[in-house]
Amino acid sequence: MKHIQIEHQTRYVYDHDVVLAQHLAHLCPLKNPWQTVLAHRLDISPPVDDRSDQIDAFGNTRTFFSLTTAHRELTVNSCSRVEKRARYAHFDPSQTPAWNELQAEMTYGLDQPFVAASEFVWPSPFVPWLAELKDYALPSFPLGRPIGSAALALCQRIYQDFTYASGATEIHTPLSQAFASRHGVCQDFSHIMLGCLRSLGLAARYVSGYLLTTPPPGQERLRGADASHAWVSVYCPGAPGQWLELDPTNQTIADTSHVLLAQGRDFGDVSPLRGVIQGGGKHTLEIAVTAQVLDEDALSM
Amino acid sequence: MMSPLDDLYNTPTAAPAAEQSVKDVLAGSLLSANPGHFDEVRTPDGHLRSVWSSFFDHVGAQGLKGLAESAQTVDRVIAQNGISYNIFAEKEEQTRPWSLNPLPMLIEPGQWQTLSQGLAQRAHLLNEILRDVYHERRLLQAAYLPSALVLGNPGYMHAMHGVTPPSQTYLHVVAFDVARDVEGQWWVVGQRTQSPSGLGYVLENRLIISRLFPQAYREMGVQHIASSYRRLLEALETQARAITTDTPRFALLTAGPMSETYFEHAYLARYLGIPLVEGPDLTVRQGQLFLKTIHGLERIHGLVRRVDDDFCDPLELKSDSALGVPGLLEVIRAGGVVMANALGTGFLESPAIQGFLPSLCEHLIGEPLLLPSLHTWWCGEDAAWKDVSNRLNSQVIKPTFANRSSTNFEPIIASLLNESQLAQWRQWIARRPEIYTTQTYLPFSQVPTWRAGSIEPRTAMIRLYAIVGENGQWEVMPGGMTRVAAVDPHLVSMRSGGSTLDTWVLTDDQVDTYSMLPQRSKRQRWHSDHELVSSRSAENLFWLGRYTERAEFLMRLAREVLVLLTTNRRDSQPALRDAVGELARLHGLVPFDTPAMSVAPVAFGQALINQLQQPDGRGLLDCLNALERAIREVRDRLPAEHVQIPGRVKQLLLQARHSNKNSSSLGLVSGLDVIETLDLMEIPLAALVGFQLDRMTRDLGWRMLSAGRMVERLINQSQTTDQFFGSAAVYTSRGFDALLVLFDSAITYRTRYQRQQDIPALLELTVIDTTNPRSIATALNTLAGEIAELPSGDTLFPAFPTLTFDEDNISGLIEQVRQAGRFGYEASDEIGRRFFAHVKQQHFAS
Repeated sequence: MKHIQIEHQTRYVYDHDVVLAQHLAHLCPLKNPWQTVLAHRLDISPPVDDRSDQIDAFGNTRTFFSLTTAHRELTVNSCSRVEKRARYAHFDPSQTPAWNELQAEMTYGLDQPFVAASEFVWPSPFVPWLAELKDYALPSFPLGRPIGSAALALCQRIYQDFTYASGATEIHTPLSQAFASRHGVCQDFSHIMLGCLRSLGLAARYVSGYLLTTPPPGQERLRGADASHAWVSVYCPGAPGQWLELDPTNQTIADTSHVLLAQGRDFGDVSPLRGVIQGGGKHTLEIAVTAQVLDEDALSM
Repeated sequence: MMSPLDDLYNTPTAAPAAEQSVKDVLAGSLLSANPGHFDEVRTPDGHLRSVWSSFFDHVGAQGLKGLAESAQTVDRVIAQNGISYNIFAEKEEQTRPWSLNPLPMLIEPGQWQTLSQGLAQRAHLLNEILRDVYHERRLLQAAYLPSALVLGNPGYMHAMHGVTPPSQTYLHVVAFDVARDVEGQWWVVGQRTQSPSGLGYVLENRLIISRLFPQAYREMGVQHIASSYRRLLEALETQARAITTDTPRFALLTAGPMSETYFEHAYLARYLGIPLVEGPDLTVRQGQLFLKTIHGLERIHGLVRRVDDDFCDPLELKSDSALGVPGLLEVIRAGGVVMANALGTGFLESPAIQGFLPSLCEHLIGEPLLLPSLHTWWCGEDAAWKDVSNRLNSQVIKPTFANRSSTNFEPIIASLLNESQLAQWRQWIARRPEIYTTQTYLPFSQVPTWRAGSIEPRTAMIRLYAIVGENGQWEVMPGGMTRVAAVDPHLVSMRSGGSTLDTWVLTDDQVDTYSMLPQRSKRQRWHSDHELVSSRSAENLFWLGRYTERAEFLMRLAREVLVLLTTNRRDSQPALRDAVGELARLHGLVPFDTPAMSVAPVAFGQALINQLQQPDGRGLLDCLNALERAIREVRDRLPAEHVQIPGRVKQLLLQARHSNKNSSSLGLVSGLDVIETLDLMEIPLAALVGFQLDRMTRDLGWRMLSAGRMVERLINQSQTTDQFFGSAAVYTSRGFDALLVLFDSAITYRTRYQRQQDIPALLELTVIDTTNPRSIATALNTLAGEIAELPSGDTLFPAFPTLTFDEDNISGLIEQVRQAGRFGYEASDEIGRRFFAHVKQQHFAS
């Protein structure tokens, strides 16, 4: 059991007055049997005129807020404390069904029971169907290979074949381009892995979240720890909760060092903070994220 | 009541004892349908079907012989009314006249019974499917619908999951495409559920064709269609009453003048009596939707939307959409607005859905599906693909997801493919079966159309509209749009150059003669206690006023330059040439670095002529372009013939370029040609101005237009006066006259003072005299009057400039004139700040 404290600050500074702003945030951590949200606060400055929190179609908390008074700066501070329990400690990827059996389950037939996970098999706005992704993925998926092992192998190959380079891509860089250049950030690594899995008829979700800023003693600092992070959740019966979370940016199973924020079909469903503003001119953006394990003393207080 | 349209018709009357009978005329001109197609006009044994026989009798032999003229009448009315269809939405030049055949399509009462029951049932069924998939998804769990066609369909909107629209009505209007097979049996080919197009064109078609054959229309029991539009408004109103205790207000949301069917958006908005708005006209506050009007924000309770799902909310959906309203989904989820149709209904448009409807109908409403769909195979179902793959050549291959550009393609008639092409298609389908759907190729029935001298049969598909009522019951509008293929025997589509027919549904009962038009004036207007003038309309009207005035002024000025250069006077007056030349330079009539007119008159004239025909950002052509854009944006407020004028004026100007190119001599001779062109251009422009003065309702929109006009006039006249007095040009006899011409006040002056050249009298008339409609004082007074009528207009300016004239102090008056000109600029800025939304929107994500 591990307690993690997250501070996520986003600050926009505008050249001119913003006269109207509407924003949508996915900044409240998810709850599941392996992650409990102990505390969460979202502070917005200047004060908002209108705010509502709802659960979206994927189970995430979505916060809508708007500002109708002129402002030159927007600060959104998200503070959360979560409790993490090990999820995959005893998980054996070889004890999962063959990937091609899962693929068959997702295929429609009158006698085929509906699998809710099939929602995540289809192409989505940021992850189109690409023949080259299927060709790339296939070597990791010989017929009969357990889904857990195959997905892990794919995750490792992406880690090896792609260069992690911040600034190499932008939010709207098409997937085909990131794939062709073999460069990207965590978002691209995740979209590529999603595209590979879906091209084979397998279900996979995009997960946004955080990594521990300071790794546990003796471990290396993970890539992407200085900002919000993203990884992939693969539909994998046999894994705890039926989904296997894999981080292709760090070739690792995402477990107690990863804090889940929101999940969806791709980045577009769960971007941490987005907005449409009127006015503003040019803007600068600063994002600061820290995710710390609270020590035993702090816990006992 | 005669409408101006009636003048355009040569109404065919029933044949007087003609030598030739209807039968004789038809014998020579009515062709038979191709074998394999159902003939709408003749029975298999060659007799005319009774409805057609009756129609032809009413039209009479004379009428039939006059069909060529009728076709011309239709084309003329379409051109006059500016009815158009933009084939490639991004290029306005591609706007093409609507194509309408003079002959109507007739549907017998018995056939209509079958169609209307079947389609009403289908519309109800589709709404039930939507209720399920956006809540419990039982249809997915029980395999009535495949996940791929719902959750995997780009038309399914995850953001709508769990949302219940008012009265659980997702659909208000559903369009169905139906066709008949060789036996005359009806089949449903497809359906439009997102924001079906055509309701405006149907109206326009009906207005034109019913006047072409008034006797047949009256005597044959043709059902009227106006009640269906009322029905739609009533349903919206009933639903909106659940979200407000006030009078609900509605608007028609369009993607703007660049969208394919913008003509009908404007037409329909005007017909329904609701404002035509674009995304940036609307804004979201506290979970409610508002229209930005010159009164401030006005709540909107319902949107008839003609913008596709993905573009409706740039905050949550397509972030680069400039067409939507940020936060609209938030309002929808909060139940704050009725959307017709709801977002997320587009997935039902996939042809693959058709194959699942029979069992869905049994399951959801416990009845068999009354009207069959074309036999449909969704290749994503293994069994279906195996079944159909061997007889692929009997099929039409269609995209399952036409709503995603990467999986869209034009439907393929497989029988036209050769073996290797077929093999290629089989390979493509096997690789990604779920994106392909096939339907049996059905030769549709052929309807009579008028074509160059004969009545030719053409393959047809009919679009019909089911409309929900306030009680939630569905009815099918008794009328619709029959679309015929450009080239037989193939697919029917407007894009590939087909044509349309008005569609008459006949009844044996009483005809419902309800009309929207008189009704509306009795009830004041639909849904408004005061008129809604959106800030965007106001802005465009204001600029329409400014550009119209500017165009007139530029034409007068250009003409004056050319007249000065072509009048063969040796006593060339440098002061006057400087004044007029500098004004021309100031107003962009010549490039900025053109040598002065007094120095190089011929070069100056040539520069002006060249510039007239080139857009450089501020000349006459630019002014006309801007005028055209402004007028398009407010076309819902103006009659169609008005909207065409800037285009015609432009055309005159551009045609002049051609004759210039052909002309071997340049210089002063072509100057005379250009003067002639400018004179020609003045006529349509004068019609535009006359219309603005005379025929527009004096509402707030008109006030804006008038204010714009006066602002522009103040600015131009102040500059002109300043220039003429500054250069002393006014003290020459030719200059004196020129100033009067530029003020359009020459006649008034001559009436009063004959040939005297009296400077104080001139200033009195052009500056001070409020009985002169063109004086600066009149412009100021009129502007003050318009501003006073605008919402809180009295707070807009602390004071207006005043003009006082002391004959001994001419320079003092000129200074006052300069101030009046500056005030024109200030007034324009201030009106913009107060009433128009002018800040650009941007978006970002982190």
